[in-house]
Amino acid sequence: MRVSLEWLKDFVEIKAEPSEVAARLTMAGLEIEGIESVEGDTVFEVNVTPNRPDCLSILGVAREVAAAFGLKLKLPDTQIKAQIPASDFSVEIDDPKLCRRYTGRLINDIIVGDSPEWIKKRLEKSGLRPVNSIVDITNYMLLEFGHPLHAFDADKISGRIIRVAKAGKNSKITTLDGADRVLPEDSLLIWDSEGPVAIAGIMGGEGSSVTNSTKNIFLESAYFAPFSIRRTSKELSLRSESSYRFERGTDIEFLESALNRSALMIRDICGGKIHEIVDNYPEKYIPRKIEVRYKKINDLLGTGLRDAEMLEILNRIGIKTEDRGDHFTAYPPVYRSDINKYEDLVEEIARIFGYNNIPARRPKAALSAGILNLKEIRRRKIREAMRKSGFSEVVNYSFMNPADLDILALPENDERKKCIAVMNPLRQEESLMRTTLVPSMINNFLYNLSHGIRNIRLFEIARIFIDKGEQLPSERLRLGGIYFKEEDISIWKDKLPSFFVAKGSLQALFDELKITGLSFVPSVELFLHKGKSADILINGKNIGFMGDLSPDVVGKIGLKIHNPEIVVFELDVDLLMTMLPDRTKYSQIPKYPSIERDISIVMRDDITSGSVLEYIKSCQAELIESVELFDYYKGGNLPQNSKSLGFRIVYRAKDKTLTENEVETLHQSLVQSILVKTGGELRG
Amino acid sequence: MDELLSIRKSFQDEIEAAEDLTGLQQIKIKYTGKKGLLSAKMKSLSSIPPDKRPAFGSAINEVKNFIEDILTQREVLLKGKDKEKRLQSERLDISLPGKFIPFGNGHPIVQILEEIKDIFSSMGFDIEEGPEIELDHYNFEALNIPKDHPARDMQDTFYISDDVVLRTHTSPVQIRVMEKRKPPLQIIAPGKVYRCDADLSHTPMFHQVEGLMVDKDISFSDLKGVLELFIHSLFGKDTPVRFRPSYFPFTEPSAEVDIGCIFCSGKGCRVCKTTGWLEILGSGLVNPKVFEMAGYDPGEYSGFAFGMGVERITMLKYSIDDIRLFYENDLRFLRQF
Ligand SMILES: [Zn+2]
Repeated sequence: MRVSLEWLKDFVEIKAEPSEVAARLTMAGLEIEGIESVEGDTVFEVNVTPNRPDCLSILGVAREVAAAFGLKLKLPDTQIKAQIPASDFSVEIDDPKLCRRYTGRLINDIIVGDSPEWIKKRLEKSGLRPVNSIVDITNYMLLEFGHPLHAFDADKISGRIIRVAKAGKNSKITTLDGADRVLPEDSLLIWDSEGPVAIAGIMGGEGSSVTNSTKNIFLESAYFAPFSIRRTSKELSLRSESSYRFERGTDIEFLESALNRSALMIRDICGGKIHEIVDNYPEKYIPRKIEVRYKKINDLLGTGLRDAEMLEILNRIGIKTEDRGDHFTAYPPVYRSDINKYEDLVEEIARIFGYNNIPARRPKAALSAGILNLKEIRRRKIREAMRKSGFSEVVNYSFMNPADLDILALPENDERKKCIAVMNPLRQEESLMRTTLVPSMINNFLYNLSHGIRNIRLFEIARIFIDKGEQLPSERLRLGGIYFKEEDISIWKDKLPSFFVAKGSLQALFDELKITGLSFVPSVELFLHKGKSADILINGKNIGFMGDLSPDVVGKIGLKIHNPEIVVFELDVDLLMTMLPDRTKYSQIPKYPSIERDISIVMRDDITSGSVLEYIKSCQAELIESVELFDYYKGGNLPQNSKSLGFRIVYRAKDKTLTENEVETLHQSLVQSILVKTGGELRG
Repeated sequence: MDELLSIRKSFQDEIEAAEDLTGLQQIKIKYTGKKGLLSAKMKSLSSIPPDKRPAFGSAINEVKNFIEDILTQREVLLKGKDKEKRLQSERLDISLPGKFIPFGNGHPIVQILEEIKDIFSSMGFDIEEGPEIELDHYNFEALNIPKDHPARDMQDTFYISDDVVLRTHTSPVQIRVMEKRKPPLQIIAPGKVYRCDADLSHTPMFHQVEGLMVDKDISFSDLKGVLELFIHSLFGKDTPVRFRPSYFPFTEPSAEVDIGCIFCSGKGCRVCKTTGWLEILGSGLVNPKVFEMAGYDPGEYSGFAFGMGVERITMLKYSIDDIRLFYENDLRFLRQF
């Protein structure tokens, strides 16, 4: 809200520099976001928080200035003293819950024209455009007293009656802005004897509006229930300076002064005869009172304020008080609708006393042994392991494009198709919540590739959201990643399929997490390359997948590279966490020496190395300490569709030194059974 | 005797000419070998008169010793030369790069998040989490933001249904934690939050860290003490801090916390809009209404809560001027952290 300093000075004698005024107001809770010089005046940009509708006016800000500087507030005289004629208008209120008071005055024989310069200037400085003298005066009062007023052309109101009632079914009105509007049933309207003439508190109707030829007006000053104004304004997507104030709460008592002051201004500027007030006020306002113990306030603030100091602060901001020994009673003024409970008084005392005058201390409470929780520690381990394998961390929006699911060609019953949709997305591309991290990974890859980066290793740890038919979806933490290297431009070339680089990185991760029982089996994911993908199992349980994107997907994302190896992976971190050992347990370093034997076997190509490895491990498991694949060879003089695998087997007994002879016997029988199992033969 | 002299002479000539260990070996065999010249001389001893034998014998030994000494010296020398030659031939271009995979980089937001978590952990705060897709009840109602309340305008909300939203702040975790734990408690709740808003300074998703401390006799003083300590840990212990009244529906009194502008040292600049201060977090004493809704007795307990935007803090710490950089995930950006 824009507030002119010169206008403020009508209400309080400010001597301080504008910057000092701004600083004091800011530190009292009325944040000044900007100071602007306008034609010798200073205009403050004031950020008024939703709890302080009383500050949405020059008068309200002036009250705060007066309190901050300990100055006196000057209020204009709003009494209408002269003998005036009675009004022939009547006001009916249908529902006093929605309209708690409605006042008005008839003013006859006015001349509508341009406003005087000083009014125009003040309106413009406040950001409003002058229209005509009547509209300008009501706007002027809205800015000055914070109370919205509305002027009807009295001759366009049928039946000399104002009725405040709900719209009901099929009500329509053309508003001042020229729009034809169908009104929600619950919305509150102002009616004359024939139909609606205004949407209460939000905008007047075109038919009853004041024009330059208007002679007689009916001036409205009313109290409308905030929730009702807010609901209607939202439903109609129609906001005005007036609705903004009504929905935050206006002063039900002071509205009469606003009515009188604007009537007087109209008489001064436009001439005319003011008539007696019409006032329908079904249920009079009952002043609030709050009781609070002095000690409670000091306890909550950590201060040592004396009783009298507290009362003095409250009195300064217009709150009357009565001391009652260990506690006091406070009577907040009508305009402070935000003050209803003791905590509201605590806040008032704190802000006027000054937050910076409250001492800072470390809490007395015994602090617990602060620990990063286990989940956090493990998440950091995962990040660390990925970073060590050269992967950089990305953070993506949790949104997904519906088209992304088509690219992945997920089967109809796939869980990842059970998406949560956002009702009001900013863009169609961000209308679903992610059910997989793969699309984000692909997008990150494409972005970097298009910016000339040729070696891309990225990972993300984030939640995915699956609709399980409950009120809230299931949220699970996932690790997603992507690996792509166009060519090895380093001088120490590594010519291996990208699949194995990514697999190695994941193996390093599992190793770091001390996870055992790992196996890679052909993946069932349709968006992965059939021959270059794997589902990852831990002790038989599927925790994710990895593999090259299938040629179909590569085609769909419009990549022009021939046969690119783009490896993606995604793991269920929440599931992974449940498989980590609770603690590391020391096992004894072997006492007796080991003996190594190598074996190279030529076998059919379709026998996986993993299956042979598993087989070897299952034989004489007690004496075989480890088996490692150290050679993999194809081509050369080997027959077609065959390969040679070399295994190094380490034999060791826990309780004795094995002799060469013992091992030789064991090994020969192992070799024989491997040859039988694989149908292969020893490589010469 | 002359013959001995000529042996010695020829040995000296040959040894000078010997350039490698093979040559040396041949000389060694020629002179000191079992069938060498000196052995032959020794054998010839029997053919000379006995009285001259001792003198002749010692003359041979003298020459033999002389030759063996020279041979040894020469061998050491040549072995050294040989080794030198081999090392020369094995020399590497040590300016070639080593082989390594450069470590990846942590995302700046996640790094600052970890820094914030570490600071609060060291102060005894536990880390709690809550759902990102949240019930309207927890996101608003239980935090004293009823429907039809103007405070709802402070946050543009993404809706999943009438009762379910993308959480607009991490504050709902406060309520969920209070419902399952009894005081005293001190927690932080880091995480993603969502607002229906995108422009130069807003992204539809960003990160917050919420904090809550509840016990008997917690006061505004404690809030100031904890948050000052936090800010001094994060931005340096000389950073000016100020607390300024504000409004949040779930705290009262509420305070914005500002730090002295780190770009202009408080003199006023574009970043701080000439005020010399930068808003860094929101805080306040927990509103008794929130305690009541969470099942705590406000007569018995008091507490404070705070919340901060991680993007803003990260931008300040690294002088990043465009929030959208965080979500482009450009490796040229990420590799700087
Ligand atoms: Zn600055």
